[in-house]
Amino acid sequence: MTLLEKKGQKKKTLINLATVNYFKALIFIFLIGQISAQESQSILLLNGYLHIGNGEVIESGLVGIKNRKIELVRNSLAYTYNKEEWDTIIDLQGQHIYPAFIAPNSTLGLTEIDAVRATRDFDEVGDYNPHIRSQIAFNVESKVISTVRTNGVLLAQATPRGGDISGTSSIMALDGWNWEDATVLQDDGIHLNWPVSASESGTSDEVSKTNKKENYLKAKRAIYQFFEMSKRYTNASEKDQNDVRLDAMIACFKGEKRVYIHANELQQLQDIIDFSIHFNLPFPVIVGGYDSHLVTKKLKDANIPVMLVRTHSLPQNEEDAVDFPYHLPAMLQEAGVKFCLQNEGAMETMNARNLPFQAGTAMAYGMTEEQAIRSISLSTCEIVGIDKEYGSIEEGKSATLFVSQGNALDMRTNHVNVAIIRGVFMPTSNFQRELYEKYMRKYKK
Amino acid sequence: MKYFLLLFLLTACFSWSQLIPQNGTINSKSKFVAFKNARIIVSPSKTIENGTILIEGDKIVEVGMLVFPPDDAVVIDCEGMTIVASFIETISSVGLPKPNGSNHSNRPQLESSKKGAYYWNESIHPETEANLVYQIDAKANEALMKMGFGLAVTHVNDGIAQGSGTLVSLGFENENKQIIQAKSTQFYSFEKGVSQQTYPSSQMGSIALLRQSFYDLKWYIESKSSETNISLDKMHESITLPFVFQTADKWEILRAEKIAKEFHYQFNYLGSGNEYEAINELKNSTNTLILPINFPEPFDVKDPYVSRQIPLSELKHWELAPSNPFILKQNNVPICITSLGQKSADGFWKNVRKSIERGLTEGEALAALTTEPAKMLKIDSDFGTLEKGKKASFSIYSSNPFHGESKLIESWLLGDQEVMLDVAKHNVSGKYNILIDGKKYPIEISGEGDKLSGKIVTISQKLDLTPDTLIQKVFVQLVEDDITLQFNVDDSNWKGSMSLHGKVSSKFGVFEGDGLTPNGKWVQWSAIRNDRSETKKSDSKDSKVDTSFSAKIWFPNMAYGFESKPTKETIVFRNATVWTNEAQGILKDATVIISNGKITFVGTGNFIIPNNAKVIDAKGKYVTSGIIDEHSHIAISKGVNEGGQAISAEVSIGDVVTPDDINIYRQLSGGVTAAQLLHGSANPIGGQSALIKLKWGSSPEEILIPNAPKFIKCALGENVKQSNWGDNNSIRFPQTRMGVEQIFYDGYMRVQAYQNEWAKYTKSGLDSKITPRKDLELEVLSEIFRSERFITCHSYVQSEINMLMHVADSLNFKVNTFTHILEGYKVADKMLAHGVGASTFSDWWAYKFEVNDAIPYNAAIMNEMGLVVAINSDDAEMGRRLNQEAAKGVKYGGMTEEAAWKMVTLNPAKLLHLDDRMGSLKEGKDADIVLWTANPLSIEAKVEMTLVDGVILFDSQRDYLMRSHNQQEKARIISKMLESNEKGEESKPFFKKKTRHFHCDTLGEEGSEEENTH
Repeated sequence: MTLLEKKGQKKKTLINLATVNYFKALIFIFLIGQISAQESQSILLLNGYLHIGNGEVIESGLVGIKNRKIELVRNSLAYTYNKEEWDTIIDLQGQHIYPAFIAPNSTLGLTEIDAVRATRDFDEVGDYNPHIRSQIAFNVESKVISTVRTNGVLLAQATPRGGDISGTSSIMALDGWNWEDATVLQDDGIHLNWPVSASESGTSDEVSKTNKKENYLKAKRAIYQFFEMSKRYTNASEKDQNDVRLDAMIACFKGEKRVYIHANELQQLQDIIDFSIHFNLPFPVIVGGYDSHLVTKKLKDANIPVMLVRTHSLPQNEEDAVDFPYHLPAMLQEAGVKFCLQNEGAMETMNARNLPFQAGTAMAYGMTEEQAIRSISLSTCEIVGIDKEYGSIEEGKSATLFVSQGNALDMRTNHVNVAIIRGVFMPTSNFQRELYEKYMRKYKK
Repeated sequence: MKYFLLLFLLTACFSWSQLIPQNGTINSKSKFVAFKNARIIVSPSKTIENGTILIEGDKIVEVGMLVFPPDDAVVIDCEGMTIVASFIETISSVGLPKPNGSNHSNRPQLESSKKGAYYWNESIHPETEANLVYQIDAKANEALMKMGFGLAVTHVNDGIAQGSGTLVSLGFENENKQIIQAKSTQFYSFEKGVSQQTYPSSQMGSIALLRQSFYDLKWYIESKSSETNISLDKMHESITLPFVFQTADKWEILRAEKIAKEFHYQFNYLGSGNEYEAINELKNSTNTLILPINFPEPFDVKDPYVSRQIPLSELKHWELAPSNPFILKQNNVPICITSLGQKSADGFWKNVRKSIERGLTEGEALAALTTEPAKMLKIDSDFGTLEKGKKASFSIYSSNPFHGESKLIESWLLGDQEVMLDVAKHNVSGKYNILIDGKKYPIEISGEGDKLSGKIVTISQKLDLTPDTLIQKVFVQLVEDDITLQFNVDDSNWKGSMSLHGKVSSKFGVFEGDGLTPNGKWVQWSAIRNDRSETKKSDSKDSKVDTSFSAKIWFPNMAYGFESKPTKETIVFRNATVWTNEAQGILKDATVIISNGKITFVGTGNFIIPNNAKVIDAKGKYVTSGIIDEHSHIAISKGVNEGGQAISAEVSIGDVVTPDDINIYRQLSGGVTAAQLLHGSANPIGGQSALIKLKWGSSPEEILIPNAPKFIKCALGENVKQSNWGDNNSIRFPQTRMGVEQIFYDGYMRVQAYQNEWAKYTKSGLDSKITPRKDLELEVLSEIFRSERFITCHSYVQSEINMLMHVADSLNFKVNTFTHILEGYKVADKMLAHGVGASTFSDWWAYKFEVNDAIPYNAAIMNEMGLVVAINSDDAEMGRRLNQEAAKGVKYGGMTEEAAWKMVTLNPAKLLHLDDRMGSLKEGKDADIVLWTANPLSIEAKVEMTLVDGVILFDSQRDYLMRSHNQQEKARIISKMLESNEKGEESKPFFKKKTRHFHCDTLGEEGSEEENTH
């Protein structure tokens, strides 16, 4: 059973996780609750199956956390630790340790109930909205977030939608007292929706159909114009008048903001590659990339990473392989293109908790387990630019990680028993679990 | 009476007495006209190569090789020409006003806006009669005439019961003369048309509405109702006319045919052009099929980025569509050809000839344009052929138009010459030697019609006295027999412009006449042809007939379709891990044998391998029964919701199942073998479900599970009260959960009254009494209250779940299944007491307010409480990985793997009352089998094979091969298109349609791109 050891003045917690049955987790949660009340403690996770996040594993690993940072990553078998050094020691008995999974390109925290307009805070009026910032609308107390965190997703890129340039996203931790607290990286990039070249928007209007190609060129020219204007503005030594939209663009050319370009079709992807080169964009990223497997060499040469279209989505063409979206990550892996998984689509906020299983599916369709893990942890952090601190369990990085009873990419074994965001224990329960327990109690009577 | 009047009208026209007074003296006409030396295509089976037609007034009095016209006859020499009976257009809207709807409003219009004693629904208007509003539209008539038509049925194309069409001759004189049959045909369709009334909003609603109106008609007439209904009176008046039912897809013909059978009507159909894809279902049909031949244009495929996105189904249709008439004819379906969708006579004839190239004989093509329509319209005693005694309506062509390009020269309608086209009689192109005042020049004329041009070679002397050859352009104009040539000369004879005018005798290749030389002198000239330039092709060329295309039809005719329909196999799966879902539980190293569509052995004991069995070594693999999706909306066409009314029990998804939905194949690849296709959740009592097996490559009838239990969808909550439909939708009752409850009570009361009425009627002896009106909605509702139809009810919050169980208890019926049931965990004890099952999502929530308390532990709690619990998809994407969704039962609530697995197999079978034939591996049950690569609940599990009724419908190896096969087929057709593009033939750009799917809350006939709110 659980062991609480007190030494001197200091409260010490020793937990043997193997004996903490998930279904008797109440006590454990209570404990974690106690622990998390303490700020900045030292934690030692012992004997875990350690998935570093960079593709490597330590089968019996040890992770030491101090000052909210990972201070120690070792093979448990080859390292003798000093009990005295650690406030809390948790023996994982073979459970799996993962770096935080991250949900990029997500409206998580920006909306609560899809059908209730009052809760939808992600789509602003206007075509070119680089100045619109998601960070300040991020709701740290979102009920949805509490259900996502408990599956191992601890970070998210709060991303606005709509328009040609939707706005600027920020990378948020799924924990904090307020959005300032929760911010991991403020204003990490703007989101540009590349015009669609071959799709019919649903109107059967003959005129709009025949003009489609022309419309595409026009829309593309408009984007070029906006970027030309932004670039001139950026380079101007003196400005007559500041423009809030163009001010928001400056960082894109200086490499301080990424340019996330949302597109799927081959024509679009080719044009985006040209566009990125034309404007010499320091950090372009393609979001979607359904056809990206056809331009892997170009993407590699241009050093453009891809946040791939939702793995659990249907093929976009009748004759596409039924499992094409499942298989796409392995295709990019094989081709050596930098990529990560994302989850944009219907009900994406609640569905963010299924991100691990999308990686699981990608694993079943050609990636190794560690590659799959990387595609929702370190790779994502590299692409959004927070990999110095997040994405893998390496010494010096932020202590943002979790422990699962079994393989976190499989529905049956994803049981998060410990979750730590920036050195702070998270509750491993949520209101849904509480309702479950409440009604089970009712029926047990 | 009508026919007498007609006869009277016709005779009146030709007996010099007229209904319409004429200003001035009467233009006299010759009584007799003879057309001699013509090739006369008398009928599809008879051609006279060199004969004469003699007409008197509007009638053909003689036709044959030896016809001697009376002395006073006008004789027209038709040498080299071909005479063909006027075509009969069976469906058009010439001369009629465009239908106008009431003004569109954003607020729903629940009642009819048409004032007067008409039918309650605006899309049922049999009172619309084309003859009352017909006005000659010269332009439209001429367009049809140029294609060869002389008669047309015209009608106002709007609505479901559209009214009657009128048969007109396409002449220009006056309406009184042109209308030949005031009411010739009655028209129907599944399209609601311009009506703004909310009902119907789906095709299944259209079907139900039409059926109801036919029942109403029966009742209205039989009961001699004291009420007046003009629509029904008019419908009754027309009901003996030939029917034409307009369809937009092959399956719609089968849907309409069900209605025809129900009411013993004989429908003729306007097809859509893809009937060949349903040839197995349509063959030997006795109904006439009117076929448009506006075959799809090729796409512009020059850009490979674009062409790669064209769906294979559209490419295949492009290739096969021209074979449609031939394939139908081959399969003994009577066909008419319509000009519908044709923009020009050239295009029309190109497509007629294309049909002939694909195997339709010239006779069959002609019949489809003449005798078949005449038969269908019952005017074959007067029209359709050029036999003696028929009406003199025919077209004269420069050559046999079925054979190759030819020109329409004249059109004669009812004995009157209606059109004379300016057509050059002569083909003057060729090389000539022209002799002007004794000087000889070589000249070449090319082109035809009014696009003639020429070149002339003149020889002048250079300064150094060497000859210099000059080629000059010649202006050439030909008007009837007169030719004009004009060119510049610069040689020793003349300097300047030469203008020649002469007569043509093309038979001998000679021109002669006089002209003006550059020096103003009139001279004689002549020209003699050396050789006829390589002109026209087709007439002489034997056009190749290719009938092989029918072999290229896949089942279904799209990617991953079968080249021939697969059949049941006898298969032995050996050494497998077998999840039986029976008392045996999970068996290791076990054997499953299937034969003749059934499971014949499951176990680890001894067995005999049947003859011809395919033995599959499944070592390391898993065998389970097929997944059953309790809640699905795939394979449905034109609307999943009939949301126009609060109760729409009369509609049935079974009427609109569509087996060629790619999602059937995709779900097979995820191990799904059966599904309940549910009506949406737009109203408290929705429509009837279709229980199907995912038989890829089968017909709509074949995918319906035979003798399946009857189900209906009910719904509660936000969708029903239209909470998320915008502020305009606040009119239809109910708008609150309080109203929803009363809908059920009200429905019950109405059923009671209805049943009493019928009970009284049956008790009191059937004769003397008037049969009560049959109400389709109440018929279906009675089934619920008689426990003959099960309810699957869409539900979310505990209050409404509780409410419906109370309603059911108090009215003494049972709710079979609550679907979605996201707060089921809060009332699981009450559900158990009521005896209702649950079909839910594994983990969906946060999409609308009523799912605020939805928890992923829901399934586990209900299961723990002893309810029958299923996990369903309600989503085409999730439908193909229901195994993963079931596995979440292990994560959320700690279910055992076997219990979790049953949530997508045995439990839905139980909820659907199909567990006697599906849901587990047991001898005697249907061979719906899935072979998995790993534990089916694991994230690694992939489907290797899915069988439905013993037929392998998904096989990962075939799937792998089909991927490249699909691409090869695409490449093959695209290269054909490219050829056509390069020839400069007309093409159209490709635009990708956004994929649309139906969800619970999808309104209207089109799938939704909206976010799914279930």
